Amino acid sequence: MKEKEISPIDILMLIPGVGFILLFIGSSIFLTLVQSFGLFSITGKSEFTLENWKAILQAKESMDSLFFSLKMGLLSSVGTLVVAFPIALFFRKGGTGKGILGSIIKVPLFIPALVAAFLILNLISYHGLVNTVLMRLNLIDEPLRMLNDKFGWGVVFIQIWKNLPFVLLIVMAALASIRDDTIDVAKNLGAGYWSVLFRIYVPLAMPGILVSMILMFIKAFGDFPICSVAGPVYPSSMAGRMQIMATIYQEWDQAAVLGVIIIVTAFIVIWAYSRFAELFKGEV
Amino acid sequence: MVSTDSITKTPLHLIQARRKRHFYLLLMIFFVIVQILWIGIPILMAVMWSLVDPENPWSYPNLFPPSFSLAQWKYVFNYTNIGRALRTSYSLAPLAVFLSLVLSLPTSYVLGRKKIPGKKLFMLVVLLPIIMPGMVVALFLSRVFTAFGLSQTFFGLVLAHTLMSMPYMIRVMTTSFQAIPQDVIDAAENLGANTFVKIKDIFLPMIRPGLLAGMIFAFTVSIEEFNLTFIIGTPTFETIPTILYSFMGYNFIRTNASVVALLMMTPNIIMLFIVERFLKSDYLAASLGKM
Amino acid sequence: MSNLRIINLTKKFNEVLAVDNLSLEVADGEFVTLLGPSGCGKTTTLRTIAGFCYPDRGEIFFGDKIMNNVPPNKRNTAMCFQSYALFPHMSVWDNISFGLKMQKIPRQDQKKRISQVIGMLGIEGLEKRKPGQLSGGQQQRIALARAIVTEPKILLFDEPLSNLDAKLRVQVRVEIREMQKRLGITTIYVTHDQDEALAISDRIVVIDRGHIEQLGDPYTIYRNPETSFVAGFIGLANIYEGTIVAKDGSRYTVEAPFGKVVIVSEGQKIPEASKTVKFVWRPEDMKIYTPGAPNRVKGKILQAVFMGNITDIFIDVQGNKMRAQTDESRKLIAGDVIEFSIPEDAFSILRR
Repeated sequence: MKEKEISPIDILMLIPGVGFILLFIGSSIFLTLVQSFGLFSITGKSEFTLENWKAILQAKESMDSLFFSLKMGLLSSVGTLVVAFPIALFFRKGGTGKGILGSIIKVPLFIPALVAAFLILNLISYHGLVNTVLMRLNLIDEPLRMLNDKFGWGVVFIQIWKNLPFVLLIVMAALASIRDDTIDVAKNLGAGYWSVLFRIYVPLAMPGILVSMILMFIKAFGDFPICSVAGPVYPSSMAGRMQIMATIYQEWDQAAVLGVIIIVTAFIVIWAYSRFAELFKGEV
Repeated sequence: MVSTDSITKTPLHLIQARRKRHFYLLLMIFFVIVQILWIGIPILMAVMWSLVDPENPWSYPNLFPPSFSLAQWKYVFNYTNIGRALRTSYSLAPLAVFLSLVLSLPTSYVLGRKKIPGKKLFMLVVLLPIIMPGMVVALFLSRVFTAFGLSQTFFGLVLAHTLMSMPYMIRVMTTSFQAIPQDVIDAAENLGANTFVKIKDIFLPMIRPGLLAGMIFAFTVSIEEFNLTFIIGTPTFETIPTILYSFMGYNFIRTNASVVALLMMTPNIIMLFIVERFLKSDYLAASLGKM
Repeated sequence: MSNLRIINLTKKFNEVLAVDNLSLEVADGEFVTLLGPSGCGKTTTLRTIAGFCYPDRGEIFFGDKIMNNVPPNKRNTAMCFQSYALFPHMSVWDNISFGLKMQKIPRQDQKKRISQVIGMLGIEGLEKRKPGQLSGGQQQRIALARAIVTEPKILLFDEPLSNLDAKLRVQVRVEIREMQKRLGITTIYVTHDQDEALAISDRIVVIDRGHIEQLGDPYTIYRNPETSFVAGFIGLANIYEGTIVAKDGSRYTVEAPFGKVVIVSEGQKIPEASKTVKFVWRPEDMKIYTPGAPNRVKGKILQAVFMGNITDIFIDVQGNKMRAQTDESRKLIAGDVIEFSIPEDAFSILRR
């Protein structure tokens, strides 16, 4: 497919799409950044200051929230990958029943995050099904606190349940790009199961693995609704804290600081990805 | 020289092979059962909760509700704002889809078929609404909206939903435009087609699957959108996600939440079947995976 | 003691019989080619030897050890693929050393063996490059190096030259054969290219639709095909059926649709009771008629294609079509009447 040279009309045609996005995202990020430094403040005076940054960085609550959100991001992305990868490998071979299984697995993709949160919430709440079954089977004496627990297991579980098909699809596409010949030849040269896995599958699927991990991390790190519904009362997630700061305490400037931290973390993760991805360059 | 115990018993290697096949079959069945439970039980629970009879409340340690009734559904429809929320959600979505389509088409065409310097950068910008953490964008975009009087307005919500739909729309359509072989265009021109004919008879039909996929994505994104709607829209406007959130907050009424959750889920599950049947799932992986 | 034995191999894919009761014995150090059209089951057979395909019925023996349940990574075979299947994310050196790494050979020995093989195949200087930066011919040689450095018991080739251009194909096939002779490794080679098979094999196994049509050395396969499939698949063939009019030992007088011919056949024997015989001869065996030559055939030229060193001629002999190839230098045109003679021993009798 040849691509023709550009004309000024083409640049013009870019504007509706790219321009729209740039305008709205750009302005909100700009405002976040700028408000964190005290400018464009709605309450009180508008002047450059580092007070807000100091206030946030010194507050124990902020650091606890940051740590909590990082934890959620990491556990969610790694957890989903650990569950998805074996399933993706299993699917690679194809065969009977994979069609039905494939459709069933994809269901959470089409269930909105909040609904997913609710569905799982039902199960893992203090009097929910899981606890009831475990008690009936005499495996535990007291119901487990899996929801709104201090660690955040409820959130992690919901994130894995909801995002499994998403990660699975991407990893499956990455695995599909590995030619059967490559696997066969590795086995032919004596590679046992684990050698094939770690020397062939993982390196060649790495681009897909990294993409899905990054997207999942950012989503889980910056999540609001799931953490607010299923997460602990303290510490709140970064997004939750930011929202409360802004809408309840009306401390928009400090909320902006939290917002910047969230955005910066997202960018750091993306940058780390592009560095890491270079290592695994190997197309054929 | 085949290792057998006696002439009548089957050779060892055939037994081993059979065992291996049986193992895989069992594994397969195990997987299917686990999956059905994994997906089915949460949904089943929600269904059951929505059907709880208020006369016979369902509580621990019962494994099932003692009796079923449609009382909860009636209650939710009569005594909550669900009707309003449904109307808002389903009037926002088509508008967002339409607007994102109109804005995305020219951009996707250029990104898909022309050599633009810095294309990678543009593609990254297009992805920003997905990458940027939602609540941050929601909070500070709402401030921008407030400054321009768009906060708590229907139009503001349409803009917000369009913003979130566009990355998917642009990605899918760019892929569609890219897939049209230049030879086909050249052949059409050679046979005398002008721009209008090219668009009508070549481009539009050839991108139709992508168009549909994009529209379905955009629609789903709008129906599910929470963060921006929550900050920019409430309390003036309620959509299904925001109303669900309210039922899960301070006034956690499990039964109400169940009804709304099911209401929210059903159009999506229908979408699932439409997508599975009529479109290739390559679009999903392609639009999300090629980063 | 044969190195490889395949006994009654049968394999089905979704109701399609890919390999049908195939049996084969290969001696140590032999170069055997499985030759046949696409889908005939040759690749399936190869993959069964390698362990990628599990037989529905039948056994595979390496020496006297049954291999059916031995997984591919424990069979000590080495395979070269049509697509080369080099590991895209590893350097050339790492590719070649992979098999040795799996065998847990110490680094020093690895280095020695790899350097030796690199020298043998003439690919010095490429060690640090990645496959994506190499030409097809180079990739093929590296795939070969990777296979032979592991000193396998059996070397397997799956149409390794199909992706190379014609000139390179001829060059590399000779290199493969030379190398195999030097190392003395039992080799099974799969191809659909008859020239390749004839040029480099000790024996050729012609396979059609899952079963063996004929087994033999290249000369026998070419000069004495036993079935019309083999006759037609390798080289060009004129195939006819006729009634036996007279018989004198191995000398048959046959009444064919285009006239009487005398066939002297040392190969296939015809059963005593049989009245008819199917036979074949090659176009290049037809000579322009000179007085006294046997089996005179006269016909009209339908088409004469001058190809430089030979002329390819299609003639009509009393309504029967025939093909001839001659290196006669005079110009032949359609419409001319021409006479040929066919040597009596140029024929091969077909059993089906």
